[in-house]
Amino acid sequence: MGIGFRGPGSEASGFDMYYLGVDIGSLTCDAVLIDEDGWVMAWSVVPTGASSVRAIDRVRAEVLGAAGIRSEDLGAVISTGYGRDRVDGRLAAVTEITCHARGIQRLLPGTEMLVDIGGQDSKAVRLDGEGRVVEFAMNDKCAAGTGRFLEAMARALEVEVDQLGGLDDGARGNLTLSSMCTVFAESEVVSLIAEGTDVSEIARGLHRAIASRTQALVKRVDPAVSGLRVAMSGGVARNPGVVRALGAALDCDITVPPEPDIVGALGAALIARERAG
Amino acid sequence: MILPYIKELAAGIEASLRSDPNQDSARKRFTLEIARLGIRLFSGEERVAWCGVFAPFDLLTAVGVTSCFAEFVGGWLATIGAVQPMLEKAEQAGYSTDSCSYHRGVIGAALEGMMPEPDFLIATSTPCSGGMATTENLSRHFSKDLFTIHIPRDDGPEGVKYLADQYRAMVDFVTAQIGQPMDAARLRQAMEKTNRARALLDEAYALAQAVPTPARRRDMSNLGIVLPLLFGSEAGIEVARAYRDEFARKVKAKIAGVPGERIRLMWLQNRIQFSNPLEQWLEEEHKAVLVFDELNQICWDPIDLEDPYIGLARRALSIPLGGPIERRIRNLQQHARAYRVDGAINPCHWGCRQGTGGRGLVERGLKEVGVPVLNLEVDCVDPRHFSEGQLRTRLEAFIEMIEGRGAGGARLEVAS
Repeated sequence: MGIGFRGPGSEASGFDMYYLGVDIGSLTCDAVLIDEDGWVMAWSVVPTGASSVRAIDRVRAEVLGAAGIRSEDLGAVISTGYGRDRVDGRLAAVTEITCHARGIQRLLPGTEMLVDIGGQDSKAVRLDGEGRVVEFAMNDKCAAGTGRFLEAMARALEVEVDQLGGLDDGARGNLTLSSMCTVFAESEVVSLIAEGTDVSEIARGLHRAIASRTQALVKRVDPAVSGLRVAMSGGVARNPGVVRALGAALDCDITVPPEPDIVGALGAALIARERAG
Repeated sequence: MILPYIKELAAGIEASLRSDPNQDSARKRFTLEIARLGIRLFSGEERVAWCGVFAPFDLLTAVGVTSCFAEFVGGWLATIGAVQPMLEKAEQAGYSTDSCSYHRGVIGAALEGMMPEPDFLIATSTPCSGGMATTENLSRHFSKDLFTIHIPRDDGPEGVKYLADQYRAMVDFVTAQIGQPMDAARLRQAMEKTNRARALLDEAYALAQAVPTPARRRDMSNLGIVLPLLFGSEAGIEVARAYRDEFARKVKAKIAGVPGERIRLMWLQNRIQFSNPLEQWLEEEHKAVLVFDELNQICWDPIDLEDPYIGLARRALSIPLGGPIERRIRNLQQHARAYRVDGAINPCHWGCRQGTGGRGLVERGLKEVGVPVLNLEVDCVDPRHFSEGQLRTRLEAFIEMIEGRGAGGARLEVAS
């Protein structure tokens, strides 16, 4: 549990209403609790695991416990993510596209293009600068280039997925890996290791593979992306190698908000506050 | 296996229509007439031709041949949940899973012995070369003669004459195959029936533009591409009249096909053929109605009874999906305005080069008239690739985006 967005007025008074956003992804289940003024009271990220219902219960209990409030004090709950229909007591289920747009507007106002790479899908969302979705595109057909892809590659490299981002430091080459298929890419990585290729070069190749796939998605939404304010959310945004590679591919600077994993849940909480009002 | 199923289907619809003559029945009457066509195709008692999608079916009706486009079989097998073994059969025979599943379905059905043997085949060069190759494959499989119609992109006088001459040659081919000449009076009667069905269908489509639309989600599915199989016959007139009458009654009484209609959507090319919950979910959860399917339109003038081959050629050349992309885009823009759509969905059927080749241009063209486009990646026939959750997220986000643009509220009070 961390303190990302706690601000003035965040102390629970016992009379206020609170709003919960829950984002149930394929890899993690995230929750954000905000107060009536929109300040973040607490947030949590837990692995979704085999039971999304258990993960939802856990993440909800964690944020309520951390903020010291009861379920009855919740004014509304909005769920998002692939498991959004499994959240009991929700006011509504809203897609992650809309929720991420709302969340990034709160964290990085004026964002015009949001790239979100989650566990099993990636999205490019064009915003109007005020948090409204103008257009979007999502990955087609398969989940290559998403968080699951990185997990598989980290496994092949025998490192934790969190370590992958820093592995490409010092790499100079332009190694190209398959960006089309996780299984093929994994066997390519294994072959490269066996051939003695430097791990930093392999990591750079992986980051470039993800960037290659993602930049096509982004440019499909808006080819003039290099002139836009671009942000990135989702767990993969924690990987500086991917962010660097994508920035280079798109010819732009990409801003990553603090705690990029919870942007969707934050957006859901903000929508809960609006709709309850 | 197929013939008893179709007979049972037809009998069930007939019983339903008898039990409640006052029900909304246009879709049932349409399904019934297609089932009756299926019975004729599979009975072994009639002369049968397997054809390309844009073949002149009414011309074949005039000469006494029961005909159908081959892709219909692939789509229909998907509709009844029986396509998967056919797809696997075709794949075992070497057809790539990247190829069109409409075609793989029909090839598999032929290899499984589930397609009635035709007397001959008529291929058409539009809408796609895959269809031509499939018809040629069927010709070899059944060892039956094939006549190929090349539908040019040029819809000017030279193109019309070129195609009309091919239709005349096709009639020569068919009459030689069946040993029976074309009867001029029968040809005229068939064209008269085509024109009557055309006029009624044109009225039905105009009525479907009403706000709220009288159409429900399945009413319009596959109508524009399948109904031409009944052109030239009384059945075609009856089905078109049923649609016209049902829609006219609903529009007059202000009855919405989907009560509470909020969002009006355009669907490009074909619907998803196998059973899936998406359209129902769009209607029930979001009051989003598929008001216009790209293939549901009359873009041709009545056939000149004194010169039917020219009229039939003009008809084939007028179909936007078969011509230059600029014409298709203009056509979609016109219909987007006429139907007052809030957004368009392009399923981008896997393996369809014809449909997806112009995807970016179509998207840009519709955006020019303020219509956002959702490109899906879906196989409309092969259920093995269907991922409901993924598709729902994309559709739902699209609806949320449209609602964010301000659509979806103004019409609430006019719906019944």
